[in-house]
Amino acid sequence: MADAGGLRARLLARPERALRGVSLGWTAAAGIFVVVAALLGLALGPVDLGVAAVGREVLSHVPFLGVESSFSDTQDAILWELRAPRVALGLLVGAMLASAGASYQGVFRNPLADPYLLGAAAGAGLGATIVIANDLGGDAGLDLRPVAAFAGAMLGVGIAYVLGSSVGGRETATLILAGVTVASFLTALQTYVQQRSADSVQEVYSWILGRLETSGWTDVLIVLPYVAVSAAVLLWHRRLLDVLAVGDDEAASLGVPVARVRLLVVAAATLGTAAAVAFSGLIAFVGIIVPHAVRLMAGTSYRLVLPLSLAFGAGFLVLMDLVSRTVVAPAQLPIGVVTAFLGAPFFAVVLRTTRTVGP
Amino acid sequence: MTALAAERVGVVLDKARVVDGLGFALEEGGWLGLIGPNGAGKTTFLRAVAGLVPYEGSIALAGDEVASLGRRELARRVAVVPQLPVIPPDTSVLEYVVLGRTPHLGYARSPGARDVSAARSALARLDTAQLAERRLGSLSGGERQRAVLARAVAQDAGLLLLDEPTSALDVGAQQQVLELVASLRADHGLTVLSAMHDLTHAGQYADRLLLMDGGREVASGPPREVLTERLVARHYGAEVRIVADEETGIAVVPLRPGVKAQEPVS
Amino acid sequence: MLSRSLAAALAVLLAFVLAGCGGDDDTASPPATSSAAVETTPAPAEFPVTVEADNGAVTFDEEPDAIVSLSATATESLFAIGAGDQVIAVDDQSNYPADAPVTDLSGFEPNVEAIASYEPDLVIAAYDPGGLVDGLEKLDIPVLLQDAAPDLDVAYEQIETLGEATGNSEGAETVVESMQIEIEELVASVPGVEGATVYHELGPDFFSATSETFIGSVYELFGLVNIADAATEADAGGYPQLTGEYIVSESPDLIVLADTKCCEQTVATVSGRPGWDQIEAVQHGDIVEADDDIASRWGPRTVVFVELIAESLAGIGRP
Repeated sequence: MADAGGLRARLLARPERALRGVSLGWTAAAGIFVVVAALLGLALGPVDLGVAAVGREVLSHVPFLGVESSFSDTQDAILWELRAPRVALGLLVGAMLASAGASYQGVFRNPLADPYLLGAAAGAGLGATIVIANDLGGDAGLDLRPVAAFAGAMLGVGIAYVLGSSVGGRETATLILAGVTVASFLTALQTYVQQRSADSVQEVYSWILGRLETSGWTDVLIVLPYVAVSAAVLLWHRRLLDVLAVGDDEAASLGVPVARVRLLVVAAATLGTAAAVAFSGLIAFVGIIVPHAVRLMAGTSYRLVLPLSLAFGAGFLVLMDLVSRTVVAPAQLPIGVVTAFLGAPFFAVVLRTTRTVGP
Repeated sequence: MTALAAERVGVVLDKARVVDGLGFALEEGGWLGLIGPNGAGKTTFLRAVAGLVPYEGSIALAGDEVASLGRRELARRVAVVPQLPVIPPDTSVLEYVVLGRTPHLGYARSPGARDVSAARSALARLDTAQLAERRLGSLSGGERQRAVLARAVAQDAGLLLLDEPTSALDVGAQQQVLELVASLRADHGLTVLSAMHDLTHAGQYADRLLLMDGGREVASGPPREVLTERLVARHYGAEVRIVADEETGIAVVPLRPGVKAQEPVS
Repeated sequence: MLSRSLAAALAVLLAFVLAGCGGDDDTASPPATSSAAVETTPAPAEFPVTVEADNGAVTFDEEPDAIVSLSATATESLFAIGAGDQVIAVDDQSNYPADAPVTDLSGFEPNVEAIASYEPDLVIAAYDPGGLVDGLEKLDIPVLLQDAAPDLDVAYEQIETLGEATGNSEGAETVVESMQIEIEELVASVPGVEGATVYHELGPDFFSATSETFIGSVYELFGLVNIADAATEADAGGYPQLTGEYIVSESPDLIVLADTKCCEQTVATVSGRPGWDQIEAVQHGDIVEADDDIASRWGPRTVVFVELIAESLAGIGRP
């Protein structure tokens, strides 16, 4: 070899760009996307507050700028007690669903995986339906839907996990099959419970199709810690998701405790998703659309896909919510319908761009 | 110094005894080739050495029992090149090779500059530096196998396990890969344990061969002792002629059945 | 798998939203008759008689005395006009009057065989899922389909039709007359409320009812402006889902809660919603807790609902 000394020096001196984290360009793009989406979500809606007026109102809360707001009490209430929490919830739920979806895809090496696959959605739906149909907690004035949905989601995934592990070791294909089984069963149960109680059908469907309507900031504050913890754990594991891409055996022979990592990632993703859907209902496709779009734009390494999915997912859902509450204003569309509308054609795109390499 | 010592190793899968009573000692820098018909248990034994399946008996790496080693410690000592590696098509060759550094990183840590340079020198060692930025999906079979080998080299382990490393390659690529392994062994004192299907290559590259059939050892020793027409006929069911000379080493030449004028196949 | 659920949910949601609130979008309503004049359809004292329903013309050779009602509204009407003793079974939602013979029959998921097992000579339904009408007709069981009425005139016609079909024309006339008179009086008792805005809440997710619906038409009687009407282009069949911010911004003068039984909404829960303290109705306490059932049916008890509204309107705007 020619100049070994010089070669070595060069190798050590230049940090490898390809293997660093998210580039500055993408960080900026993601940040701008989130901020713009949030601002649009605040500025627009079925009630026209005036974009400039909203801007003044927001800035009037920034100290030392001396900007005065022209808002009436009602407008103030609409912006800060109704719209802002809704946008905040959208950011949290969107970030969670997208990053949970990306993590599931990494852990199961399956482009269509997301927490709904293992029964989180079916479990949450069943929990909420049971509460609604039987009017649980109504006498005490409690809204038990979020708790029940959360418990249902965790139980659904838990059962799928136990079932999959007991049947065929911890291979991914077995887990996925177990998840589909559990999800189908829980969905059947949910449909049964729902049909038994005719007058709650509308409420059930409304919950299932998803909405970001909030009861104010309390919902946001409840969801926040779950999403924060979950997202932190998922981000922490993004390197390991890259290693898992070469399959369980090879990853194990590279020293990765595969089953443990999978359990941890699935648990974290499910926890955050359960908390999110407990309040937002079942908003589909976000966990699939956003990570795939990110892969198409920025590359397939989870070093990039995970953090970017978090950010783009947040902005994406806020924009979807904006569509759902402005397109037929003053009526609103269930947000699950809007994301499904976008999701179906998007699958076609994913199909066309997916390439596989034979052994 | 014994790099790998196996003693009465057995592996039971799905109630079937796939490996039975295997034993040998492989010294540091040696190359042991596992040969035998399909289903003989070669791959399973390799998986046991890699800690991927439970086993009976003893498999010791430099005196330490494989079953007692932690997963990461094992990965620092044993590098595996599987028969059908999973190739993520959109990953770059460099990123793929850097995966080999995983056992040396903390849990969930990202590779640092040192790891990247180790990966680059592994690529250079295998004459594959120019492929560093290419997507795995765009490589030929031989190039891909070199990338997998580079990943194993980057792992910096003392023992290299190869499972049928040439089965998907053309004859040129086959030679290339095996020569690379031989030179790695020569330059770095790597110990090599490989399962091989091509008997001639096995004879040309390995110091010793171990012929397995039905999970058991049938014969072991230097190639000229193991590669005999009778053994090949009995365990592979194939008629061959063994040609041994300076140039070819031990060459196992398949004959069309019925062509052989001499002793009938028993 | 989830996308299939979504598609099914969408399809059925549209159907159920319309029916679950006692409404139906495709009312082929006969031309509205004037509500001011008391109109009496000449009622033959004897059978056979042919009446018009949403499933066409139906002929009765003799007075039915084994009536099965799958419509809670029809049940109320039947008992009000004096046909109660001709009724042998009513569906599981028919909870008024208390002595109606309630069974497990479902008006939303009717089982033709179960209905037939009662050997009815007349079946009344408000909803025709899964070929109920066809199924009954094949068994030669006369069926009257009376979809949710879009306004009072159609509701009166339905009562009169029931009177004719059951041989209680006089009773039906009486009921309709008294309804008309009472409602007129109630409306006249609160003059000067025209133009006041109202928000009718079907669920805490802000599902509301526009003026195209029966309940919406009641508000029209008083000259109230329904804030859900702005959502008519949404083509939600009369039951759009509004947003919290729209409702707050419209600041309706009157809020009517039709989700007190199903979803535990009360004056307190509504007043406590963030941002809702800005609404006129909340500030003045003009929030009405209506009985879900009364607010979702279009029978004789509509008068009770009108009375409730009139009472609330009488004190409107005052703290």
